[in-house]
Amino acid sequence: MEKVKQKDLILYSGLIILGLAAPYLFSAFKVQLTYLCVLIVLAMTWNLQGGEMGYNTFGNILFYGLGMYLTASVQVGMFFPLAEWTESGGEKTFVHTTTQYFQGIGVGLLVAAIIPTIIAGAIGYAILGLRGHYFAICTLGLGIAAGEIAGGIEIIGAGQGFTTPPFPAEIVDAEARGKFFYFLSFALLIGTFVFVKYIYGSRFRLILNAIRDNEDKAEAMGIQTMKYKIVGWMCSAFFCGLAGGIMGGLIGYIDSTDVAFDGREMGVFMVLMAILGGKGTLWGPVIGATLFHFFKEGLWTLILGWQYVALGVLIVVIVVYFPEGLMGWLREKYPERFGEVIDEKDRKAQVELK
Amino acid sequence: MNKIAKLFVTFISAITLALVSFTSSFAKVEGEYIVLGSAISLTGKYSSNGVHTQNGYNMAVERINKMGGVEVQGKKYKFEIIYYDDESNPKRAAQLAERLIKQDGVHYMLGPYSSGLTKAIAPVTEKYKIPMVEANGASRSLFTKGYKYLFAVLSPANQYLEVAIDLAVEKNGGKGVKIAQAFEQDAFSQDVRLGILDAAKRTGSEIIIDDKLPKELNDMAATLAKVKAVKPDVLVVSGHTKGALTAIRQISEMKVDVPMLAMTHCDAAKLSKQHGKKSEFALCASQWHKNLSYKDKFFGSGKKYAKDFQKEFGYDPPYQSAESSAALLVFKDAFERANSFDRDAVRDALVDTEMQTFYGNIKFGPGGQNVAKPMILFQVRCKGDDCENRVVAPTKWASDKFYHPIPKWSERS
Repeated sequence: MEKVKQKDLILYSGLIILGLAAPYLFSAFKVQLTYLCVLIVLAMTWNLQGGEMGYNTFGNILFYGLGMYLTASVQVGMFFPLAEWTESGGEKTFVHTTTQYFQGIGVGLLVAAIIPTIIAGAIGYAILGLRGHYFAICTLGLGIAAGEIAGGIEIIGAGQGFTTPPFPAEIVDAEARGKFFYFLSFALLIGTFVFVKYIYGSRFRLILNAIRDNEDKAEAMGIQTMKYKIVGWMCSAFFCGLAGGIMGGLIGYIDSTDVAFDGREMGVFMVLMAILGGKGTLWGPVIGATLFHFFKEGLWTLILGWQYVALGVLIVVIVVYFPEGLMGWLREKYPERFGEVIDEKDRKAQVELK
Repeated sequence: MNKIAKLFVTFISAITLALVSFTSSFAKVEGEYIVLGSAISLTGKYSSNGVHTQNGYNMAVERINKMGGVEVQGKKYKFEIIYYDDESNPKRAAQLAERLIKQDGVHYMLGPYSSGLTKAIAPVTEKYKIPMVEANGASRSLFTKGYKYLFAVLSPANQYLEVAIDLAVEKNGGKGVKIAQAFEQDAFSQDVRLGILDAAKRTGSEIIIDDKLPKELNDMAATLAKVKAVKPDVLVVSGHTKGALTAIRQISEMKVDVPMLAMTHCDAAKLSKQHGKKSEFALCASQWHKNLSYKDKFFGSGKKYAKDFQKEFGYDPPYQSAESSAALLVFKDAFERANSFDRDAVRDALVDTEMQTFYGNIKFGPGGQNVAKPMILFQVRCKGDDCENRVVAPTKWASDKFYHPIPKWSERS
């Protein structure tokens, strides 16, 4: 790997310090900041498929939802009978001790990372042979089906939803819960970023790009495209599962279609954020998610009732004026800042051809 | 790359500045206003009931403020509500509750619409010890969690249609009946289902169809086809407003004959207006009806409330609006008895609530549910094309006799 440049180092350490200080600086905004971290993770992992590999997936929400249910189920199931916890909409109340709570969520997150990854492998093996719109529609179906199925499984609360274990009451500090989930999501964000950055410097990314640009040619060159496609999706599933697990604990109540397999919101948002920032770039999804979240939190409540109209307008504006996203737009405007060298003579020669 | 880096630094600092500049915190009581917060479904699948709820809140705020407001320590205060739209989504609702409390500095909350959203918000208000009086979260499991700051002016969901099963058994000469049921997959409707399961067990009735309906409910033909085939004694349907509308539309289209049809949300769906004669004989569970004889000094009687509401918003108030208005009356009463804005003092005052409102008596049980008010059943009855909801149970308030069985479609004009 190339040596991290000094300028980058300043940027990264600055961002990390800001990230660590944020819950203290903006104490009232902890939950929104946690959402932001999770949104960035979702956008970055979506970008691996949608941006780098050229496979527009709506199925990543499946792993997010799975992670959410798995974390909560493990956290409860380790110490109490899960069926009784969720029975009759969660009528019986069990209380986790502080140790149980943290042990549970730790193991739960581990499971939430592993199982979606395995499932991504299995599903990927079955459907990654589909291309273009067919793949998109197929994954769209996956998310919807998962929501309907989860809504029928009694042990995870079915239609009544699943109330996740409340934060231990022994911790009296009302801010502790917010901080805990923020730092958890921030750690996940850093992990995801480091991983994606590593991929960006590797041969793996070039293969994904080759698949995007011309899959048949890539195959003809001896690349086992199927293998790489599956591995790529498994990587996304790993982080989506974790993101879901954290969100489940933060929200405190899991509903099958509105919170877990929330394809209509989270599933669409992750695509939108990646495209807004610029798909196929490292920073694009980060910027896209941040802007989107600010737009949503800032303007949403000012235009009560019209927010989805505004969102629609935003989508149209992005697609029409920034089809390549903000990063793509910047790159076109200031190519030299992206390290692209323009041969002035060549450019002039082309102009003079007219 | 370094210019990109600069760009980021600028970007980040801009965000930081923006954040710092809008971290302004309201006080719980601002000048002469007591600020309440509520996340409500203005868009999404619960939007119609969300609006009923909001109208109920607004009506009460206006009335209380006009009639002198809330008197605490000799000073008069007015109510004010900060609303956010939770988009009928529990995730959003929980986030907005956090926002109301942490960013807007709200110290007293009003509930959202629906059990699912209340389930999502209750842990948040509980964590910050914010008293919440809610009027639209009926799920039984809300009241078994040991929540100390949650108060519901309504009866729990499992009580909604239990009485209907009792009625059916009574009409069947005390023998168990065959029940067909279809419930939306959401917290509230599934709780209504639990009530039916209990009632069936108690009366020795048999459940022969037990279907689940999807959340975005607009078709239940599969269930109705089964109903046609197996001929149950009672058909029970619950799925908020859309459930009631869909059931009547398809039952009349498919000419499904069933002796008794029990539902929820008929008045919120304005069933008797929307479907007219097709909805006749439907039996509906309700928290409130304007003909009940409760009274208070703000709204007078239920009939008076209905008239004023009609004048203000142009439609007959469903019980969702009435119970929401009652929530404000409870808050006013609690503030005055606490004679303080201390959250725990207000909370303790809420625990001791015992009052009558136009909506019914209110007294909170240990879990926070209202134990002083029974559910009622009404039946849609028509005279010519003019249809109306008439109370048929409990007998104390019944204005009409329960009509049973429902005539076959071939005999209905």
